[in-house]
Amino acid sequence: MGIFISGVGVVGAFGSGIGDLKACLERGAAPLITQGPGPVYRADTSRLEAFVPKKSLRRIDHFSQMAILGAFLALQDAGSPSLAAGRTGLIVCSGYGASQTTFSFLDSVINDGDACASPTLFSNSVHNSAAGHISILLKLGGPCLTVSQFGVSVPSSLLTARQWLHEGRADQVLFGAVDEYCDVLGYCWSRFFGEDDMGIMTPLSQERQSAVPGEGAAFFLLSKDKQEKSGYGAVVDIRTGRLEGEAADFPGGEAIYFLGADGHKDCDRLYRDMTPSGIDAACYSPLYGSLPVGTAFDMAIAALSIHEGKIFASPESVAGQERYRIIKEPSAMAPESIVCLKLAKKDEYGLITLKHG
Amino acid sequence: MNLNEELKKIIVKDLFLEDITWDQIEDDAPLFGEGLGLDSLDAVELVVIIQKHFNVEIKDMDEGRVAFQSINSLASFIRERQTS
Amino acid sequence: MNRSAPVAITGIGCLSAAGMSLGENMASLFSGRRRAAPPVRFSSSHPCPYPVFEIPEDALSNNAPENKSVSRTCRLGLAAAIEAMKDAGLEAGQFAGLKAGVCIGTTVGSAMNNEEFYRDYRSGMHPDMITIERFLQGNPASVIAREFGLTGPCQTVVNACSSGTDAIGIGASWIRSGMCDMVIAGGADELCRVTYNGFISLMITDDLPCRPFDRDRKGLNLGEGAAILILESDRAVMKRKTHIRAFVLGYGSACDGYHLTAPSPDGRGLTKALADALKESGKAAGDIAFINTHGTATKDNDRTEIKVLREMLPHVPFVSTKGYTGHTLGAAGAIEAAFTIACLEAGMIPANAGFILTDPELGAAPVVENTRIAKKTALSDSLAFGGHNGALVLGIEGV
Repeated sequence: MGIFISGVGVVGAFGSGIGDLKACLERGAAPLITQGPGPVYRADTSRLEAFVPKKSLRRIDHFSQMAILGAFLALQDAGSPSLAAGRTGLIVCSGYGASQTTFSFLDSVINDGDACASPTLFSNSVHNSAAGHISILLKLGGPCLTVSQFGVSVPSSLLTARQWLHEGRADQVLFGAVDEYCDVLGYCWSRFFGEDDMGIMTPLSQERQSAVPGEGAAFFLLSKDKQEKSGYGAVVDIRTGRLEGEAADFPGGEAIYFLGADGHKDCDRLYRDMTPSGIDAACYSPLYGSLPVGTAFDMAIAALSIHEGKIFASPESVAGQERYRIIKEPSAMAPESIVCLKLAKKDEYGLITLKHG
Repeated sequence: MNLNEELKKIIVKDLFLEDITWDQIEDDAPLFGEGLGLDSLDAVELVVIIQKHFNVEIKDMDEGRVAFQSINSLASFIRERQTS
Repeated sequence: MNRSAPVAITGIGCLSAAGMSLGENMASLFSGRRRAAPPVRFSSSHPCPYPVFEIPEDALSNNAPENKSVSRTCRLGLAAAIEAMKDAGLEAGQFAGLKAGVCIGTTVGSAMNNEEFYRDYRSGMHPDMITIERFLQGNPASVIAREFGLTGPCQTVVNACSSGTDAIGIGASWIRSGMCDMVIAGGADELCRVTYNGFISLMITDDLPCRPFDRDRKGLNLGEGAAILILESDRAVMKRKTHIRAFVLGYGSACDGYHLTAPSPDGRGLTKALADALKESGKAAGDIAFINTHGTATKDNDRTEIKVLREMLPHVPFVSTKGYTGHTLGAAGAIEAAFTIACLEAGMIPANAGFILTDPELGAAPVVENTRIAKKTALSDSLAFGGHNGALVLGIEGV
């Protein structure tokens, strides 16, 4: 039950669009800004005005704007196909939802009293607001879903995208993931992990807590039918669940792993414990930061790798060479299959395998 | 600053109206539908705005419908409630 | 939308202000008993205390002892899951060799909106991080999976007010695809100040107990609760030799693409969701015993919903049970699915609490007294913020 990718749209610290992502992969670094207690990978949505008049974005917050931009970029990348309104599904997943707007709503209550709670902020704070805005702007009328499953939001909701396509509920699914940074998150980060102004992520280094918060969106146009033009390949396997003490049955062989390690020391240790050693592996989180839906960026990079017929070098700061063959030079080989693996505390995992279509 | 001017500035700012400045809003122009293009969500936001800035309560949207017809009607509604 | 095989429901658990078990809930519904009152667990500074349907803390403590490491939403979900598992004759440890997943709808359960924490943070204090830890460990689907030792997929659906309906529909699809032998599917949501203040700010709440479909209805009352359905594959049912209570026959989901908070006046999303659910079930309007409506008692919802139901299912009796439970947000679709099955089993639907006068604009009235039904199939639908619509066809034929 494979699903084919016909378009990819991404927004993050690296910029917006698949071209910016590719340039960042080739450069090996993404711009950091300093905000609040520490460095952050922030996303800029100014490109959205090319797709949506500013007037229509009036009440739409940064969280939804990132998602909307990701969605439009994916469609543009797919060649702007016409979307049969009732036959196009929409799935958006997010770890934390529209957290800034949630706190802005609380501000309206705390500042001016319960009777001055802002209805606009409230309606935008519900998790499915991004999907709501996208469905309105694109005039969609098919099935619609928002999922929040923290670090495995992406594989979990991708299962439903696959179901919809194979049940005939939709002919195409616009599938995306979005998470945003906000000051409260930065504060919690500093309370849990202390303050780190270095901003250098060293995922898979067992000893160092090096995660830097990131934000952004990654969207994909998916279908059941093979997509000759896009060259992004297909998602051929999706697994998610809980590992309860048993050894994980992860693919071996010729697969290249994109490890979702993102510098959180406790989670990074899970990769050492759970994955086969000696595998060919890459890790790209230093290019987009640490966020629950980071797997969506790995999936975008996997699709791009299949398209380009090569594996991009992992950023220099990625560790893990004592256990894996971390790919630190761009390699021109056409990957047989790419496994995007995410291990999330305490015991949840998600695995998405992409192959040439 | 008179009340009409104050209302226009507040509406532009608190409803995030991007493509119009306060002095382009006419006193008698409809606020909803064709005029400024405000909708039902703006209407309930406006209720909160009026409560916050002028401490005037709008109990339900029947009251709101009358008050929100234009800047003039909104200003006279507020004046009336503030003196009573 | 293709025709699909029915998915067995082998156990049900449900709690709300109307009762701490499905049986207690149905007793309240069929006796017309309801209790809406100003919230007890929290206060607000609104001049008018809008009533809610709150679960008393002592009642919840009997079913789910206080546990500070999980949210109230998770406690509600766990309590309903325990009842459902018992109803299905399932115990922890019986899942070896079975692929079992969890799909739960919620709104509050996934939101980091703890007001106390945020107030302290804003005022420069350094609040205890336990609130954040509880949030990070409190994903409702994960909490339930851990409680019962399930290792299959977890999915928390946050589709606002249709989440419970959607979670059951998605869970059923996991069974049909062979991905799971068993799914704990449902919804859970707690009352809190954020949603209380939020819905009041939208001016869609009633300062009296709500009146779904009534001419003088003014809006909704919030509620809290949870409901869980245990879905099982044919393989699991045969292996456990368990009894089946009902079937998920069909599910439909469609968005309006119209407005963030108001349903599309033409009801296009609801129309499609209902049509897809019926098509998947292979049933027609003439097979439907009744509709458990969304019926929140807001002007817009009830108007749109009745417009669609009159067109698609013109002679089918309908009821809103929110007059007994309030609007339980992410739990609503699941609670209403549970009620729908119980009504089919009882051969009866309860009176629509809060309804007195027909609204001429709606041109239709819900049932006003307990009403016998003979057919074995029913519909339950939900309309959500963001313009999402979900519908389930549920049946007891062949159990």
